Amino acid sequence: MTQQSTAPRTTRRMITVLAGSLVAASALAACAPGSSSTTNTHTGEISTDVAAAGDVTIKVSDFWGGTEGEWMDDLIARFEDTYPNVTIERTQEDWGQLTSTLNLQLAENDGPDIATANNGWSSLGTLAKGGLVLNLDPYADAYGWDDVIPSTIARQNEFTTDFSTIGSGSLFSTPVSRVSLIGIYYNTAKLDELGIDPPTTLDELEAAAAKAKSAGEIPFAYGSQDSPTALLLALQALYGTADEINDFTYGDTSVSADDIGLLEAAEKAEEWNEKGWLTPDHEGIDYQTAVANFLDGKGLFRFEYTGSLGLTDEQQGDFGYIQLPQVSGDGTVGVGAAPAAMVISSKSENPDVAAAFLDFLMSEDAAQASADHGLIPLLADADIPADAATLQSEAAGAAALGESDGFVPYFDWTSATMLDTLTQQLQMLYAGQTSPQDLVDAVQADRDAFLADLAQ
Amino acid sequence: MTMGIRPGAGVTGTPAPRAGRRPATRRRRVRWIGLAFVALPLAVYAVVVLLPLAQSLQYSFYDWDGVSAATWVGLDNYIEFFTDPVLRSTLGHVAVLIFFFALLPIVLGLVSAALITRGRQRGMAVYRFIFFLPQVLTSVVVALVFKRIYGPEGTLNTLLRAVGLGDFTRSWLGDFDWALPSLGLIGTWTTFGFCMVLFIAGASSIPTELYEAARMDGAGPLREFLSVTLPGLRGQVAIALTLTVTSALRTFDLVWVTTRGGPGTATLTPAVALYRAAFQNPDVGRAAAIGITMAVMCLVIALVISRVSERDS
Repeated sequence: MTQQSTAPRTTRRMITVLAGSLVAASALAACAPGSSSTTNTHTGEISTDVAAAGDVTIKVSDFWGGTEGEWMDDLIARFEDTYPNVTIERTQEDWGQLTSTLNLQLAENDGPDIATANNGWSSLGTLAKGGLVLNLDPYADAYGWDDVIPSTIARQNEFTTDFSTIGSGSLFSTPVSRVSLIGIYYNTAKLDELGIDPPTTLDELEAAAAKAKSAGEIPFAYGSQDSPTALLLALQALYGTADEINDFTYGDTSVSADDIGLLEAAEKAEEWNEKGWLTPDHEGIDYQTAVANFLDGKGLFRFEYTGSLGLTDEQQGDFGYIQLPQVSGDGTVGVGAAPAAMVISSKSENPDVAAAFLDFLMSEDAAQASADHGLIPLLADADIPADAATLQSEAAGAAALGESDGFVPYFDWTSATMLDTLTQQLQMLYAGQTSPQDLVDAVQADRDAFLADLAQ
Repeated sequence: MTMGIRPGAGVTGTPAPRAGRRPATRRRRVRWIGLAFVALPLAVYAVVVLLPLAQSLQYSFYDWDGVSAATWVGLDNYIEFFTDPVLRSTLGHVAVLIFFFALLPIVLGLVSAALITRGRQRGMAVYRFIFFLPQVLTSVVVALVFKRIYGPEGTLNTLLRAVGLGDFTRSWLGDFDWALPSLGLIGTWTTFGFCMVLFIAGASSIPTELYEAARMDGAGPLREFLSVTLPGLRGQVAIALTLTVTSALRTFDLVWVTTRGGPGTATLTPAVALYRAAFQNPDVGRAAAIGITMAVMCLVIALVISRVSERDS
């Protein structure tokens, strides 16, 4: 009998073990996900004395490749020269890779001290709200960042500490001494060929486009398969005021989508599409191909993010940049932001040193390094090499925006889904499946839904 | 669970009333050794499959951005999946893809298997290899190749112009009406060879006497196919259907590399919507709800297919 009973007993035991482990597993999973155990307020005294910090290693994760990566390497080397006690380990990741995993990386104890985040709710906002990145207000006071960062740029890095509002409150990230804009590039040789001067107003741009079209050229090199929005956002900035676009993006409900130049911009995009001013079959052309077409001379103008053409030193001067003034004639407004939001991890053991490095990335030296690497300097004056003709025109655009304090943030910071909404609506607009007013309404609905969700 | 119970249950069934103490101990030892062998795979399975599954199920009841504290929303994420017009439309897109990924290749595979098994030709292995090739290629490579073929200046349009059908040229993947069928045909191309090879292998195990008997009874090619080949391939068809339908349900890479769900939302699939919700617009709860729904659908479809194919035999 004893032998017989052993088998069932073992079975029973095994069932118990299995059931037990399942119960344990579900118990582990039972507590609500995302407990906010970390806090982003700095505790204790802060110090700006890097040399006194002892031997320190700072880990930086960023998404800058190419020239931007060289700029970063250059500045890291200089910082390490100044402070031999500091070692900076840089990890470069692909943009999509880093932005999609940053929340996990920052939650790790051995994650990066400093990282590049994407501004807006979907990346920076989520990190700040989750307590994964430090509130940088104490460092802003210590280093006097208020005097360095223009208010329209500072707003891009701010959240209120109840995380109900973006664009005001505490600083959760810093910009760097260079800027990324949306504007218009033109092909210098093509323009000369057609006897057209670089346009200085929207009317002149349209006249040039009409002339190019009748001469058998493609006026605007364009692709709308995956990234059609630069054209719309650049046009929007010619119609909307800086304040209203800023306020709308930052969730101010007193400003509606009807007030921000979006309708006029969408109408213009539709009109140009119907006139055949955009690359034929642009709905089947992806972003990479569109850029390649433009660099290849297939198209006179292109609405583009600065730095995205990847011009070599030899190509400097082949393409010029225009930051058009507003249609109303009052100054210049344009999309412009630092190329990333620099954050300090709440888990960083050396936030003081990390902050000193962020301060260095906003310095005059860093701005000069930007110019030297062919990137558009911001925050401080820099001498632009005389042979860098494209950069000269880009810097002139940034200067015009600075004079009017006309920087507006990337419109997709409005909500987590805004970029998808804009892309889809624009594709539908070109296919005649929606109207400019419907596009504007969809943008409004997207923000309404997002703000309602945020308020919960 | 079943894996854990089965060894014990099997042992209970073995008659051992007269066995002495030592064999029982040995048996027990053998049992524990067996358990020790499965312990590691079982633990791995629990950690990489069961635990994430339980977590996903849990997340799906929350509104969560992936970082800060989550709020319980009950079934809202599921309700949203079936009521939000854009999310709901992804189910319709999947239905279209199932036609192109599963039904069309299986029909084509059956026809070609029937033709091939009737008349054996020289060099059959070469053809089989050529048709099977797409199955071997990485899906991203396939997607990139077809992106070129379907492009405004791509091979397809060039071909159409060459034969005087220039009016039919379009940006196939940028066209609201044509993008989804165009994507679907890529799936047909990749799975057709797989289905065919599967069916040819199955058909070769059908006894030739059956064919001879059918011919003796005066059956034509069609009758022969319906009465001999098709019933003989029931198992293979069930396998092909299960694999292709579930792969259609989780279509991601093809869409992501070619259209990203566009133009508009014309080619958005649940898997792409899931990826966006999980990694781009932090809404982990919604992503988990989509994932669980798709998993359940896959399971139900697989069960139905296996039930139907077994009941008929």
